[in-house]
Amino acid sequence: MRAHRARKSRSIKAKIAGTPLALAVAAGLSMTTTTVSAQTITVWSGYPEMAPFYEHVAESMKDEYPDLQVNVEAIALREHEKRIALGLTSGSAGVTVIELAGSTASRYIENDLIPAAPENVAAFVKDPANFGSFFVETASKDGTVYGVPLFRGQGALFYNVDMFEAAGLTEPPRTMEEYTEYAEKLTQRNENGNPTVSGWSLRLTGGGQGIAEKFWINLFQYGGSVIEPDGNGKWRANYANEAGRKALKQYLENVHVLKTVTPEMPADAEAFERGQTAMFIRESWVIGDIAAKAPDLNYATAPLPRGSIALPTNLYVNSVEGEDAEAAWAFALATNEPENLIWLLDNVGWLPNRSGVDYSVVTDRVPAFAAFVDYPEDYEFFTLPAIGPIEEVLTRLAGQLTAAYANADLAQDDAAIDAFLASAAEETNNILSREGLLAE
Amino acid sequence: MLAFLPTLAIFAWVRIYPITETLRLSLHKWDILSKNKPFIGLDNFRELFHDRLFLDALVNTSIIAFGVLAVTIPLAITIAALIHHRTASRFSGFYETAVFIPHVVSLVPAAMAWKWIFDAKLGPLNALLQYFGVPAQPWLFDPVLSVICIIVLCSWQALGYAVLIYLVGFKSLPVSLFEAAKLDGAGGIQRFWYVSIPLLKPITLYVSVVTLISGFNVYAQAFVLASDSQGAPGRLVRVLVLDMLENSFRNYRVGYAASEAVVLLAIVLVLTLIQFGLLREKGRA
Repeated sequence: MRAHRARKSRSIKAKIAGTPLALAVAAGLSMTTTTVSAQTITVWSGYPEMAPFYEHVAESMKDEYPDLQVNVEAIALREHEKRIALGLTSGSAGVTVIELAGSTASRYIENDLIPAAPENVAAFVKDPANFGSFFVETASKDGTVYGVPLFRGQGALFYNVDMFEAAGLTEPPRTMEEYTEYAEKLTQRNENGNPTVSGWSLRLTGGGQGIAEKFWINLFQYGGSVIEPDGNGKWRANYANEAGRKALKQYLENVHVLKTVTPEMPADAEAFERGQTAMFIRESWVIGDIAAKAPDLNYATAPLPRGSIALPTNLYVNSVEGEDAEAAWAFALATNEPENLIWLLDNVGWLPNRSGVDYSVVTDRVPAFAAFVDYPEDYEFFTLPAIGPIEEVLTRLAGQLTAAYANADLAQDDAAIDAFLASAAEETNNILSREGLLAE
Repeated sequence: MLAFLPTLAIFAWVRIYPITETLRLSLHKWDILSKNKPFIGLDNFRELFHDRLFLDALVNTSIIAFGVLAVTIPLAITIAALIHHRTASRFSGFYETAVFIPHVVSLVPAAMAWKWIFDAKLGPLNALLQYFGVPAQPWLFDPVLSVICIIVLCSWQALGYAVLIYLVGFKSLPVSLFEAAKLDGAGGIQRFWYVSIPLLKPITLYVSVVTLISGFNVYAQAFVLASDSQGAPGRLVRVLVLDMLENSFRNYRVGYAASEAVVLLAIVLVLTLIQFGLLREKGRA
């Protein structure tokens, strides 16, 4: 955009050069040029809580880039993804720093809609002192760096300490079986026996792939996964099995048999902050959310039984050149300044991916971070595969799961659960097959 | 003729071109990101009719569209008749405004308000039911009730416009016919049933076509009632437009979504033609 304006400006200059008005107009043109030199970059984020962080980073760049204007546009994740699809394909995105999960970015990289990072940025990302190989890989494609790792979504159990004590529970659950036992003890009911405070808040309704991601986290604790690789770049569904049955049965048992939670009960972080649920699994941003909305809440966190999802989010820059690209990449790098990363952890709660930074100033002060950084040695992580149809696989599975969660007939019928899982897995495999990604 | 050209050009650009482009895309495989759009014939349509989510969306959308039609038309004509016969009242302006306001209220805030009304725990609707001894209902979570909620919301919004159009119709009816019917001994209800309703058939045709088309395009109501920044927002009632958006921008299948749009276009066209046929036929009889 700036380049275009500059060309237009030069063209006007050429036309009026040599005319009697040239001198008179020169002053006006020079003023125009000054105005144009103020650079503007836009940051697209899918997490509204990240807006203050990006504004903080912009503020920290003022000394080096006094004319840089940073517009932060942080909206809900699903809308953000639609905005990227439309903005990048139509070329109307302007100079934009884009926050995107590595698994989703791969589609855009394959279609040349996201350019490779410049050499200095790639060198910074590839430096083992800055990032572990897991984060470098998720920001790269075929060995080329395209993005700058920033933060990750990693799950842990959040539990209300007061409610645990009232139920006679002294430590967090350590196995998935204990999660159900605890949920039963923690559920508070009215005189009719209906739950008023859920023992364990589960994601049961709504749209989008979040339902399937949450299911995957529980499934992982039982040893399963929504899809698994065959080692040759192909994938297959991996939940129509014992792990899938156990995971789904646990949902159904809690909803329909034990009634420790119901679909219409308040859920998620908001419910936890209001004392409407005793425990739930979520990412570290909840720590910042609780600090802002329920600072007096007596809560703690604990690692999950086997391991957690780790969803790295990176910063990319769209196809712009020259000073625009330089400013945008400078912003992406500035987000990784140690001072800014500590600010991110302290004020927002998302876990920064950069290593070699002393985060103890925050983690020592906020014990809730312990479950996210001090986990057992054999703790395992998984992430969403960087394959084209992963969103469709998860969105369609989410639709199936929503219907299953509402079906009380499934709750105590293993054969029906198996049939449901087989049908859902067939749909997953059909999607993979259509895209030429199904393992034999 | 030349004077029409700018209008025709604009019409072609904003109406004809998007429709033909959608028809073209429906025969291609395109992921919105790729420069390649291979021609795949009718494959998208073949897949569509085996797609569980699409069929679910088709059924839900049809139920909602006909549900809104069934609620709106009788209610609108009745309310319009009542308001028309109270024209002399100093409150007539208030009645007309009160009925029309929902139509001009922005859709999202209105849907948010209804979301609160239907809330299972905190909503006034369940509070009212419980006051009369009826157990609270999970309005936004039950598969049937959640569809009814959308029908109620859409009807509430469509009613104002329908009443307004019917009021114009009532005001244009010849007074002599009503006087003649009255002389023949017809009561108020008989005059409404045997004189007003038959004479208002052109209005009914227009209102029902507009209501049905709008019903098939339902999206925001379903989206808002099942949306929340967090956890337990409500059961997402899958409707066609929502399914199209999901296929376009979440699943990156624009060609497939275009085939859904073509099916929606065909349904609305056929239904509109049937409505025209039925009402014109009966009008002649």
